[in-house]
Amino acid sequence: MNPKNNLLIGAIIAVVVVMSYDVGVDPIAFVDGLPNLGIVLKEMTEFESEHWGIAFWAMLETIEMAFIGTLAGVMISLPLSIFAARNISSKYVYVPLRALLAATRTFPSILWAILFVIMVGLGPFAGILAITLYTIGFISKLQYESIEAIDYDPVEATTAIGLSKIQLIRYVIIPESAPHLLSQILYMFDYNVRQTSILGIVGAGGIGFYIINYIKFFEYGKAAVFMLVVLIAVLAIDWISVKIRDRYIMKAQHGQQVKVKTN
Amino acid sequence: MKKNTSIATLSIIQMRDVSASYDSQNFVLKNVSMNVKRGTNYAIVGASGSGKTTLLKLMNGMMIPSSGVVLYNYQKPDLKNKEYKKSIAKIGYISQTLGLVKNSSVLDNVLIGALPRLNAVKSFLKMFPKDEIDTAHEVLNLVGLDTKSNRKVHMLSGGEKRRVAIARALMQKPDILLADEIVSELDSVTAREVMDVIKDAQRKFKLTAIMIHHDMNLALEYANRVAVIKDGDKVLEIGVDGEQIIDFQTGDLTQEEIMEMYNEPKK
Ligand SMILES: Nc1ncnc2c1ncn2[C@@H]1O[C@H](COP(=O)(O)OP(=O)(O)OP(=O)(O)O)[C@@H](O)[C@H]1O
Ligand SMILES: [Mg+2]
Repeated sequence: MNPKNNLLIGAIIAVVVVMSYDVGVDPIAFVDGLPNLGIVLKEMTEFESEHWGIAFWAMLETIEMAFIGTLAGVMISLPLSIFAARNISSKYVYVPLRALLAATRTFPSILWAILFVIMVGLGPFAGILAITLYTIGFISKLQYESIEAIDYDPVEATTAIGLSKIQLIRYVIIPESAPHLLSQILYMFDYNVRQTSILGIVGAGGIGFYIINYIKFFEYGKAAVFMLVVLIAVLAIDWISVKIRDRYIMKAQHGQQVKVKTN
Repeated sequence: MKKNTSIATLSIIQMRDVSASYDSQNFVLKNVSMNVKRGTNYAIVGASGSGKTTLLKLMNGMMIPSSGVVLYNYQKPDLKNKEYKKSIAKIGYISQTLGLVKNSSVLDNVLIGALPRLNAVKSFLKMFPKDEIDTAHEVLNLVGLDTKSNRKVHMLSGGEKRRVAIARALMQKPDILLADEIVSELDSVTAREVMDVIKDAQRKFKLTAIMIHHDMNLALEYANRVAVIKDGDKVLEIGVDGEQIIDFQTGDLTQEEIMEMYNEPKK
């Protein structure tokens, strides 16, 4: 290794130490606190069975919110991404539009949820609006980037045939940029389920509402079980999206073969 | 040559002293002149980088000459001109890279050729009239691909992709077919199959064809006239008459001189 790298690594470690001191990182508190985990685990075993039903319905609501928000966001993103693509749209449209989309991505969805709770009141609708907005910011960006990355070859060839701009978008741009869309939607849904799980903390619906309330009333066992439900749901959704991706997306890619796992 | 005023002898492409450049410094074509009569089977050959693709792009207005005049049907090809934009729909163009929409089906790709005849609403809703769909199946039949019309283009072989591109060009109901090295990467049997498809279509639709080739023998086999391009210059224009190769450009080269010149660009 060259000395320059060593110096750099040393400098980074020094910075981390200084920062840790500044924010009060305390390893001793961590070790001292470990037995508290045991208390939580013990309380978890005292979880009453009728709560499973509540946890299930709360998780279902969370998933529904994420699903609606994701789909609504995607629907709105599709036309927006065309207006935001540099290779199709005019500068006077894409520059402000991109700035707006960047702004929606600046805040995590929980901050948008606070705004929508103020606007439309407590409950899942505010959460759905927050998820929709965040999805618009994200999917539009992914989508305009894949529109900008499409092969120029069919665009040139169909221009030479004399297609209008609308025909070009409909018959070349959309089909050429769509294969990534399904994978982006799956990824976004996955992400949105996790986001929606905490929106209840600010009163925007979903399972997070229960978790924050149990924590407030020191019912850590119940809170932990509800978190466990979130974990199981997220893992399940993750697993399902991997299956869908393998089945539909790998095959959809240009001439690529589906890789078969051998283990 | 005999003077004749029938439509068959009218010019479809005329070029006079055409120069072209991508950066307005290096000229990739220098003072090229050519005249392609309606109904001709015209071929262009030349080494890689000699300017063949550029020449073809000048003919349909995908490129504008730096100097000189290009006329398609006695009209300057210019994509900014509304009047010309209507007639470009009648120029069947197959680029060197084919320009197919890989994620669409064979049929959808072919139907793209009919889009200039369809209004905005109908084309947005993919509402093709029945006779257009029938025509699409007809041309697919002609190129031997009708059984694969629902297949996605990225799942086709190289030869099949070329047939789709030909079918799309025929779907334009073209007056002229401009094809850029569409058989160069195929083995000689498949190449001749594809060339025969084009020959059939030409006879059927009374097409003029201007095709770029890599293989001089193939060019002479299928074309009435072969232009040889070398470093942006048209150095020869020849044709075969029985056993004889005729020089159409200057009219006074001997058989040996022609052979010598045309053997050169083959590498
Ligand atoms: N878009 C471009 N920008 C700049 N230079 C270009 C461009 N396209 C082609 N050229 C240059 O112009 C010259 C002629 O190119 P052209 O594509 O017409 O050759 P070609 O005869 O078709 O070659 P090939 O047989 O390899 O297709 C080459 O030197 C090439 O490098
Ligand atoms: Mg070329």
